[in-house]
Amino acid sequence: MKGPGLRAVSIDENKYPYKWRVLRWSTVVGINFFFFASYYFDIQILEGTLSASRFLGLHLADPYASFQVMLASKIVKTNLIIGLLTIGFLYLLIGGRSFCAWVCPYGLLSEIAGFFHKFVRKHGLIKLGNQTYGRETKYYFFFVSLFLSLITGYTGFEIFNPVGGLSRAIVFGPSVALFFIASMLGLEILISKRGWCRYLCPVAVPYIILGKFSPVKIKWKPENCTNCKECQKVCVVPFVLIDAVNKGIVEYVDSGECTRCGLCVDACNDAALGFEIKYLDKLI
Amino acid sequence: MMYKVIKKNMNKKKKSPLSRRSFLKGSTLSFVAGTITVGGASQYVFRADDTELLRPPGALDESTFLASCIKCGQCVQVCPPQILDLAGLSKGFAIGTPYLTPREGACLLCKGLPCVLACPTGALDHDITEGKEAEMGLAVLRSPKTCLATKSVNDIVFGLENLKTKEDRIKIISEFLPRMDDLEKKALLEKFNIEKLSDINEVNAKLVSSQMQSESDFNWFKDLVKNSKQAETSCRICLDKCPIKEEKPIVFSKTSAAHIPVFQESCVGCGVCEMECPTEDSCITIIPRLTYKEKV
Repeated sequence: MKGPGLRAVSIDENKYPYKWRVLRWSTVVGINFFFFASYYFDIQILEGTLSASRFLGLHLADPYASFQVMLASKIVKTNLIIGLLTIGFLYLLIGGRSFCAWVCPYGLLSEIAGFFHKFVRKHGLIKLGNQTYGRETKYYFFFVSLFLSLITGYTGFEIFNPVGGLSRAIVFGPSVALFFIASMLGLEILISKRGWCRYLCPVAVPYIILGKFSPVKIKWKPENCTNCKECQKVCVVPFVLIDAVNKGIVEYVDSGECTRCGLCVDACNDAALGFEIKYLDKLI
Repeated sequence: MMYKVIKKNMNKKKKSPLSRRSFLKGSTLSFVAGTITVGGASQYVFRADDTELLRPPGALDESTFLASCIKCGQCVQVCPPQILDLAGLSKGFAIGTPYLTPREGACLLCKGLPCVLACPTGALDHDITEGKEAEMGLAVLRSPKTCLATKSVNDIVFGLENLKTKEDRIKIISEFLPRMDDLEKKALLEKFNIEKLSDINEVNAKLVSSQMQSESDFNWFKDLVKNSKQAETSCRICLDKCPIKEEKPIVFSKTSAAHIPVFQESCVGCGVCEMECPTEDSCITIIPRLTYKEKV
């Protein structure tokens, strides 16, 4: 299908095809290393895990975990609210689901599992094609698990939560709970590429809402685009690019689902995609 | 005309009885229902035993604690003696929540209770500020028969008879040094040519590093212990090591011939007595969440 991009011939040039990936992977490893270091080397910069932590003493709390805790216990604590607001403000600034791409250790493992997925498909080891599901599924997970927390008084989803589980495993050493993470990665390799992140992860839901309003966005330049669709092949959540690249009705990738991972920017050989701060031109 | 249009639409519907919209609706409903069922059922599968784990100081009652713990592990990170651990998958809903095993590492009720301060959700209650306010559980004398106090045996003498490793020696020596009287100190100083016994730790280090390694010297030390005044007193180590002994959580009540430790209401269940008990399997055990009233 031809898209609304305007350039006829690709300039086929991208000086830094790994720029954002290298930056992002180092950020994920770096942040999780600080968590690890605070326990093993007593370097008190970033203490805790991804469920809740303190950065130089300032409380940070994952919204989904905090909502579960508040609904299950019916207790609201100042420290948790401070953590929630700090995280909320931070990700409103730097782009909602950027948590998924730039912080979440499961996101990194899932990206690596994506390579295996590609390998398995390429060599025809699995007959079944890549399965896709509704991206709304994560909202159901989100609301159902919060509802269950409210009525049962347990933060039940935390048993399966790969984000908190993996973060605890990184800091405090591996446990049997890694079984869930391993099986999820297995499913991603065999059945659905990046299935958890794309369709299921309820941890992402608050970040999606924040990301909708965040000014950090991917900008699409139709005058450079040759409709090659390389960006959609690498995108973590390919549906976010449709409005821009396929339909040409928006300039910015406005969907909150966009993880700001920069894979599309790396993949584009025509300089048609890039990070921009929306509204900045209006401010100046 | 109108009729025809409607009929056309009806025919269309018949061709695909399950339209995309109704399919989505159906699958969504069944998905939600399924998740609720599985979630509800898992409540019973993963339910943790309420009295199983000994929690850090300030923990709310078990069900509220499980609900309000965000499983971040910050208490484990700040714990100065590093005795806290996070529960695993076998503990069901308690996965990721902190607990301690007192025999391996007991809570020292650190000043300021850093674990409580670190808790972001108040699962460890910020209302308590001192160790003596904690209500972790209660110590009970599990096996009075093996208790050294009831047998009027001194713990250091007992320790010397039941040495297993080199570390045991070091522990015994450092345990005995502060308990010596003046005559015994003098004898020790002369034997090892030490000038002053001002700093116990220094002497301890000296003994452990050099002289005490030889068997003859250690045998001399054994005799010193056996003939000391200390050897005549019976074991009091649970009270001596108790971090809140000013509150008198342990009282030695006299039975016919010996003394037996009786745990009082002020015991918070930190587990130091269980950790320090010199008998092979600690004769004291902490029962998590137990209160004095329940016990009586």
